[in-house]
Amino acid sequence: MNKFATLLTGLILAVGLANTNNAVSAEQRPPIHFGAIGWESGALTTEILRLIVERGYGYTTDTLPGSTVSMEVALARNDLQVIAEEWAGRSPAWVKAEQAGQVFALGNTVKNAEEGWWVPAYVIEGDAARKLKPLAPELRSVDDLKRYPQVFRDPESPDKGRFLNSPSGWTSETVNSQKLKAYGLNDLYTNFRSGSGAAMDAEIGSAIRRGQPVLFYYWDPTPLMGRYKLIRLEEPPFDAQAWATLTDAGNPNPKGSRSLPAKLSIGVSKAFREGYPDLVAVFEQIDLPIDRLNKALADMSEKRTPPREAALSFLRDNREVWKAWLPADVAGKVEGSL
Amino acid sequence: MSNGFPQALQFSFADSVNRLVDWLVLNYGDHLRTVSDQLLQLLVGLENLLRLLPWWLLLLLVGLLAWHASRSLLRSAVLVALLALIGMLGLWDKLLQTLALVLVSTGLCVLVGVPLGILLASRPLARRLLLPVLDVMQTLPAFVYLIPVLMLFGLGKVPAVFATLIYALPPLVRLTELGLSQIDPSLLQAAHGLGATRWQRLRRIALPLALPSIMAGLNQSVMMALSMVVVASMIGARGLGEDVLAGIQTLNVGQGVEAGLAIVALAMVIDRISQAYGRIAR
Repeated sequence: MNKFATLLTGLILAVGLANTNNAVSAEQRPPIHFGAIGWESGALTTEILRLIVERGYGYTTDTLPGSTVSMEVALARNDLQVIAEEWAGRSPAWVKAEQAGQVFALGNTVKNAEEGWWVPAYVIEGDAARKLKPLAPELRSVDDLKRYPQVFRDPESPDKGRFLNSPSGWTSETVNSQKLKAYGLNDLYTNFRSGSGAAMDAEIGSAIRRGQPVLFYYWDPTPLMGRYKLIRLEEPPFDAQAWATLTDAGNPNPKGSRSLPAKLSIGVSKAFREGYPDLVAVFEQIDLPIDRLNKALADMSEKRTPPREAALSFLRDNREVWKAWLPADVAGKVEGSL
Repeated sequence: MSNGFPQALQFSFADSVNRLVDWLVLNYGDHLRTVSDQLLQLLVGLENLLRLLPWWLLLLLVGLLAWHASRSLLRSAVLVALLALIGMLGLWDKLLQTLALVLVSTGLCVLVGVPLGILLASRPLARRLLLPVLDVMQTLPAFVYLIPVLMLFGLGKVPAVFATLIYALPPLVRLTELGLSQIDPSLLQAAHGLGATRWQRLRRIALPLALPSIMAGLNQSVMMALSMVVVASMIGARGLGEDVLAGIQTLNVGQGVEAGLAIVALAMVIDRISQAYGRIAR
């Protein structure tokens, strides 16, 4: 028992010492905590922002891992200060915190981000090099899907096609389920929820590699979009009233419409917005061109580069893009460090 | 970044694993999908069979089973009430899907686990080789093997069965082995002396004596299979886990709790019935 007490005291002393050491070295401010986003575009954006904040402004940063919802809750409590890619307005947790004034969405980081229904190009055009026949040569719009349920056969109920929806719980899952109704596809296709983003990517990736037909919901900026040739099925033009029927899961007669163009922002906590006005001004300027982002993401996922390195090479290759966001002296500092 | 371990001694085999998985998907993906379709037929068939039963008949069957196992009217009534509660929460169809998944994976567990346990009990070498494998099966994070399995066998129920099998098999193997190795060797020697063959000794003496332990293992397997239901829903297997997942992802704590408690209720029903049968065996 005595031994144990000595050990414990020693441990507490050691931890205390380590702590004071830390306090001396990082005197000015505690590090800014970014949410460690798991999906690729979020991870890349996080590292791009961290590089700018660290090298241009000299603040220390750190990341904390978590699921989307837990990160949003942490942001509201200021346990996190920044979420680099926030699909603001898509999650109930976010909407609640935003109404309470605990979190803020800054800027519009990726313009023209799309979401919709996609098929690999070889399903429509075939691929002579891989000896793939065009299985659905006249597939252009969601209406044409009525003619091809057998192409996208669902092994769990073989008389129907399978539409790969996003995991249940995502806002897009509701929208896609309503779209199936709106486009009259409910009896022809199973509404297959993929369970998690990782599972969905694995299934799509496996189908494309094997050259099999697959019909799925997807969005960008994502590596998949930069990496493979995919074709987006045409939908009726965006209409606000129809969109309202699509987002309401209880509406029995939804009307078809393209999805509301996604708005990606940087989520910050209230304390961060008040404490770092210089960074807030920069975050509001940030604008990542979607095609370059998709390309960088495809490279990153194909070569399996760590996000930090991918962010460095993104900054090196696209100097004119990020210089536009930053004051000249800060831009100089970042450029000098590359 | 501080990096205490010497750089020269570091290596990574991640790339070779990635290439192996790619190669498997390209060359065997289509074959394995046809295999997985067979298993899927079994699962979907069982599910549809359960759906064919009217709800009251299923409740009645469970009640009869509980009574047969425990001979206690009160206990049977409570178990039936628990199951009915799941239906009242509007989760009946999801309950059937989860039940089908758990039944098929437990069935496969018994088919694989009991023979493995017998092997482990009778061959010390197999025991030494397989015990670490069982450790790996119980501790390796499920998603590590789930994603490759999913790429090979397709999204949905089949990889869910595999994942459940890997996670729920070890307790059955361990307890079968334990039960068999605790039998008094003089009993087996006596049987040997009376001219019983290996198979007769196993079938007539060893297995009946080890049955309580095997039933305990089966019970543990079922419980672990049920705890995998949420993970299964993360790879597209529908059922009660789906609601838990959706509840968590949208911060709808109420929905998550409802579905979570439904899983607990189902677990209690299966647990009490299988334990009662285990006690009969004793």
